[in-house]
Amino acid sequence: MTTEWNPTQTYWDDIEVGHEISMTEETSSQRLVIWAGASYDFYQIHYDDNFAKNNNLPDIIVHGALKGMFVGKLLDEFAGENGWIKRWAVSYRGMDPARDALTVWGKVTRKYEEGGEALLDLDVGVAQPGGTQTTPGTATVRLPKR
Amino acid sequence: MAEPFQLTDEMKAAIGKANDPVTYEVTTQGIRLFARAVGYRNPLYFDETYAKSKGHPTLAAPPGYFGVQVWDPRRGNAGPRRMYESPFSRNLNGGTEVEPIKHAYAGDTLTAVTSLADLQGAVGRLGPMLIQTTETVYTNQNGEVVAKTRGTGISY
Repeated sequence: MTTEWNPTQTYWDDIEVGHEISMTEETSSQRLVIWAGASYDFYQIHYDDNFAKNNNLPDIIVHGALKGMFVGKLLDEFAGENGWIKRWAVSYRGMDPARDALTVWGKVTRKYEEGGEALLDLDVGVAQPGGTQTTPGTATVRLPKR
Repeated sequence: MAEPFQLTDEMKAAIGKANDPVTYEVTTQGIRLFARAVGYRNPLYFDETYAKSKGHPTLAAPPGYFGVQVWDPRRGNAGPRRMYESPFSRNLNGGTEVEPIKHAYAGDTLTAVTSLADLQGAVGRLGPMLIQTTETVYTNQNGEVVAKTRGTGISY
């Protein structure tokens, strides 16, 4: 599969409070292994079925840090080439069993200018297919003005 | 219900202290592997020619990527110096905050200094526990701060 990269820049002027962004992320065992290699997090509950079951888990689970970085990617693509993520923070409140598709989302809660920057605050999170929220957080993104 | 964990004097004394610096290497392969795992599509993180066409010196690291610690079997999984003795053996990652300041790039060597911002004794579903908040500052080889992070760890 190949993907083209032709993003359009989002401008601060065009975004209002309540604006929502989201993407869906698959969490196959293969992907978790790629993340383990990338992050040097080799804890076996993330890729070894027997190890996970022996730790009273129903299945291997998604790395918390990977969920945090899914949120970072959502914000990075929203900010675009001329925007910047000022900060983002997430809490890991619950485990996500692997293999499900997770919804990574953001919703603008505040639009303001500060220190010469055009900023948006967002609530962010990761939701399981059944709607359970495991990874609540907040973020601030700078966007260019028209 | 169990009582909240009480901090030891050694723990209280460690609050606010910085740990030893840790060196991270940012490489083209590391950036591509991270970007692939997270599912990035932006060629800024995969294609050096594209990155240069956008005014960057080389491949940029996606936000939140600071490379990996230099692995040396003589040190193994030693990790950073233990700043206090803890009775707990199990750890959960409680949360992460990232404040990106500048891009990190392939070829960078980052120095990470982690300070113990806070320790709190608590009690929860898992029994007595210790909540640790750390702050890390990542500085590149030119002395520029590229990011600050804040992490919460729960020991129980």
